[in-house]
Amino acid sequence: MSLFTFAKTEFHNLFSRPVTEQYPQKPKQFKERTRGHIENNIDLCILCGMCARKCPSNAITVNRAERTWEIRPFSCVQCGSCVENCPKKCLSMCQSYTRPGPEQTARLLRKPQPAAKPQPAAKPKFSAAPAPVGKSAS
Amino acid sequence: MKLSKSPWVLHYDGSSCNGCDLEILDSTTPVYDVERFGVVNTGNPKHADIFLITGGINAQNAPVVKQLYSQMPDPKVVVAVGICACDGGVFKDCYNILGGVNKVIPVDIYVPGCAVKPEAVIDGLRKAAELLDQKQKQMKKKRAAARKEG
Amino acid sequence: MSTRSVVPFGPHHPVLPEPIHLDLVLEDEKVVDVIPSIGFIHRGLEKLVEKRDFRDFVYVAERMCGICSFMHGMSYCEAVEHIMGVELPPRAKYLRTIWCELSRLHSHLLWLGLLADAFGFESLFMQCWRLREKILDMFEASTGGRLIFSVNKIGGQRRDMDNAMLHGFVEKLGGLEEDLKGITSTFLANSAVNSRLKGVGYMTKKMAQEYGVAGPFMRASGIARDTRKLGYDAYGDLNFEPITSTEGDCYARTQVRVRELFQSIDLIRQAVAKIPEGPVAVPIRGFPKGEYMVRVEQPRGEAIYYVKANGTKFLDRFRVRTPTFANVPAMIELMKGCRLSEIPMLILTIDPCVSCIER
Repeated sequence: MSLFTFAKTEFHNLFSRPVTEQYPQKPKQFKERTRGHIENNIDLCILCGMCARKCPSNAITVNRAERTWEIRPFSCVQCGSCVENCPKKCLSMCQSYTRPGPEQTARLLRKPQPAAKPQPAAKPKFSAAPAPVGKSAS
Repeated sequence: MKLSKSPWVLHYDGSSCNGCDLEILDSTTPVYDVERFGVVNTGNPKHADIFLITGGINAQNAPVVKQLYSQMPDPKVVVAVGICACDGGVFKDCYNILGGVNKVIPVDIYVPGCAVKPEAVIDGLRKAAELLDQKQKQMKKKRAAARKEG
Repeated sequence: MSTRSVVPFGPHHPVLPEPIHLDLVLEDEKVVDVIPSIGFIHRGLEKLVEKRDFRDFVYVAERMCGICSFMHGMSYCEAVEHIMGVELPPRAKYLRTIWCELSRLHSHLLWLGLLADAFGFESLFMQCWRLREKILDMFEASTGGRLIFSVNKIGGQRRDMDNAMLHGFVEKLGGLEEDLKGITSTFLANSAVNSRLKGVGYMTKKMAQEYGVAGPFMRASGIARDTRKLGYDAYGDLNFEPITSTEGDCYARTQVRVRELFQSIDLIRQAVAKIPEGPVAVPIRGFPKGEYMVRVEQPRGEAIYYVKANGTKFLDRFRVRTPTFANVPAMIELMKGCRLSEIPMLILTIDPCVSCIER
């Protein structure tokens, strides 16, 4: 049984630098693999809905008719399942976390309509045309 | 005297996996040290200003949460910590989960994350402290108005 | 003639981070009877197997508990892999072992901190959790999350740790080992701490066997049983023996867990030295059909996972028997006859994880 077993740690802490991260004054340094929030490159997205089906907390909603992709960051558990299963690899996991707030906001991305392709010249409709002038069976 | 200079916190686990609770406890430890802002983790609801609650609430926990909320004196701020507390999280479809703290008591600030980062808890606490000041001002105005009438 | 009074303990209390309710029947300062009331964290997640694809259920299984999160996800994957007959690549097995042992380190350090907080030694609690941050940094660097990792999938792991990262971890653990020796000497040698732990909650070997307890709670009463000796994952290649003690009181359980801390660091060193190269996952095809039981040594004891599948993408049944569930009846029995001030010690001595009991 001894009495001053904690004294060594105490003195060491008294005379060494504090370990506290000065968080709000110094911004947070994220690690390379930190899972924070999901971003979507809507130009590459084909609105297949795979991410919405795979999400364990139903945070993603894809509406093909209106061409929108919506994520609710206050429902996202940052598992990365959507990123892994996306066929076009347009989803990515970013490092910074969603900031707290008074309301559960959602992020909606709208995929623009594709530019109208130039229409080919209209083919003439079939009609009883006169036989072409030329050789005829004798 | 501003309450935001030293808000005292009451923490309760409302049916969570206790990941977010550990991160809240973590923010009181030396590396994140929320005591720099004057925050003290008290166990007594009558001493607390901010109610930190985690987990989607289950049917057995709902009366406990309501009782704790009613025991806290005004002005008070409720902070829902974690995705489960915001809207039920991965357990939304479970038979026993009511789905988020706002189904039981009014929530003022939502802190997302699974599990939340201690920095997000610090952000949430600072926003809650500002809100606490606003609520305190409103209470003083009401009291002054009531005294003028009476 | 002493009167009996009932003191309700919980569900909200400053000592424990999780809600559990105990009605303590007291005669003066002595506890005569304890009536538990659980169910405050029951979410019913086992029923979610009927609504989630079996490949996506990993994310629900690992959120059963925040402390034992990795092993829950890993054991669910192992059970389904056995049913489907998937053979894991050896590197995946070693990675699982390394992450398991890091989880055990973090869990035991967490427990040590909470124990110190329970008897009022708050500085020691802060020191333990300061050291624990180094392990959480390792988790974040390798998996992206501090508590919930999401690295397990059916067929292997989603992420790899390259050899540079592994050797960096071994170096950091060397530094951690030195700090741990200083902290743990306070737990084991300080007279003030010893007076709170020695002689409290004595459990005989016979009682441990009758009540079917698990983990360090059991090993501190002299039963040398460790589920890691079954040889799952890479444990068959590693060299270790179960750590036991014969005294059976709170001090012995603290001693067992402290020695397990150092054993975990040694196991990680052995695993990093032996880890082979290769892929970390294999693709899976089809649906599982059949049933299987997996036994795993969690930081709190032996956990049993049962999975039953019927050939479709939804499983039939997923049932977990966690070690704290087995330890609670013995804890209630130990509480009868103790003083009121010893109640927090006795609750913490089984290392309770209430979200594991109730899922």
